[in-house]
Amino acid sequence: MVAQLWRATAAFRLATLVYAVALILRHRHGYAHPLGGLLALAAMAGWTVLATAGYARPALRRRAFVVADVLVAVALILGTRWVDTGVHIDHGAPTLPVSWAAAPVLACAVTGGPWAGLAGAAAVSAADVVERAALAPNTFNGVVLLLITGVVGGYVVRLGTRAETAVERVARLEAATAERERIAREVHDSVLQVLSLVSRRGRELGGEAAELGRLAGEGETALRTLVATPPAAASGELELRALLEPYAAERVTVSGPAGPVPLPAAAAEAVAAAVGAALDNVRRHAGAGASAWVLVEDEGDVVTVSVRDDGAGFAADRLARAVEAGRLGVAQSIVGRMRDAGGTAQVTSSPGQGTEVELRVTR
Amino acid sequence: MSRDEHEPDEPVRVLVVDDHPMWRDGVGRDLTEAGFAVVGTAGDGAQALRVAAATRPQVVLLDLNLPGLSGAELIARMRGPSLRILVLSASGERQDVLDAVTAGATGYLVKSARLEELVAAVRATAAGEAVFTPGLAGLVLGEYRRLAAGPAPDTPRLTARETEVLRLVAKGLTYPQIAERLVLSPRTVQNHVRNTLTKLQLRNKAQLVRYALEKGID
Repeated sequence: MVAQLWRATAAFRLATLVYAVALILRHRHGYAHPLGGLLALAAMAGWTVLATAGYARPALRRRAFVVADVLVAVALILGTRWVDTGVHIDHGAPTLPVSWAAAPVLACAVTGGPWAGLAGAAAVSAADVVERAALAPNTFNGVVLLLITGVVGGYVVRLGTRAETAVERVARLEAATAERERIAREVHDSVLQVLSLVSRRGRELGGEAAELGRLAGEGETALRTLVATPPAAASGELELRALLEPYAAERVTVSGPAGPVPLPAAAAEAVAAAVGAALDNVRRHAGAGASAWVLVEDEGDVVTVSVRDDGAGFAADRLARAVEAGRLGVAQSIVGRMRDAGGTAQVTSSPGQGTEVELRVTR
Repeated sequence: MSRDEHEPDEPVRVLVVDDHPMWRDGVGRDLTEAGFAVVGTAGDGAQALRVAAATRPQVVLLDLNLPGLSGAELIARMRGPSLRILVLSASGERQDVLDAVTAGATGYLVKSARLEELVAAVRATAAGEAVFTPGLAGLVLGEYRRLAAGPAPDTPRLTARETEVLRLVAKGLTYPQIAERLVLSPRTVQNHVRNTLTKLQLRNKAQLVRYALEKGID
């Protein structure tokens, strides 16, 4: 991208050189110093070659070279007063380099962005005004155009460079995702198959093998979660299923729709934390051997997540009594968290029937 | 079950399709020990179609993660009046599972299921019942909601009762537990669950037919 911009600048320089040459050759007989006109012509041609060759090498695209570029243009503009006659100049004759003097402004913009472009344009414009010793309307127009060229050129260059960086980043991300998917497929086809087989046969054999089988099963779940590709969500949003999937374990099932369930980040995190707290409760209070099911439902404007267990359960008034007694555990970590995120939480339970926590967030 | 062609005492004929030989053999052995007739095994889609044509199994136990044909494609091509497909697969591939049941599979079981669960599931599938895990219920529920939110006019919808039943399945309740909670017979619960799948599959079939007509294939 930068190399292309330099090529464009070089092309501009060459085209404007041709224009300046034509004008000088045509007007030279009216000059006060025709030889001076030819000298200026030679200087412009020489510098065009030098600048084109110099800017083609990244190592030379430095401030000093760009400043020299601007100074050459300034010198040629000021030299007009010596070469041409005062009468011509006062009647609006063009400067010796004409639009060739805009090439260094472009070089400034490409090197340093909008501010450098503006500075270069200001220097060249100042020379223009000094040369004419007046701000005639067409000089004024030229100055404005030059300043705009410097700023807009620099701005476009900066935008382009940023876009290029972004495109590169996306390409890298895509490559990383593809690699991740490849690994996921490999892991899926090999290790996961073996782990699930070990897990199942171990449990059937019983005893110590059952324990090994259980561990293999846990390893399988963890690995599966790890290699699952998280769906992309818009910025400021999080995908709820990807947040809840890690809770899946031997006795915890997580289910929901096949597609992504995006939520504002704060709400998604509150729901995930509340689910974590509810599952902690299941582990602590539901009794050994209790299983839990997490269900995600996306109803468009409302997202509902329920956590149900088949454990011991408790009498309906126990939760209220716990809150009154100052033991705020469940109430604070689940109900409070959801309220803070603008959602609701409802806990229902009865002895022997397990417990169900229903979390709701409005989009 | 009126379509069942075999005598009740004859063992259920099962075809095991999985690209992992260790798994294929292990499951085959387990099913044989449990009293099923494992009539064949296959490691990829093309082979599965050939073996299914030659051995006429009643139940195909199918892993979705096969080389070549996608699971849904294979199911669509394998499907026949006396053949039922039970997907036995990993929990990670949600869209694949949904595509498989939409294409005509009547049940889904995670690979980590216990042997008793597997045996019961194969038996239920052979009897024409739908085998739902909580995970599958969540997927089907989500699919109906997605269809309802979309612009298509002829989308199938769940009745309030079907939604209620599916939600309870997704929350881990067994059919008898659901029957007790909703004061229904277990048979009715099973029918509701089966209906939710049938409607999705019919829509899929109708779409395929429409697609074929549009493309001028008849």
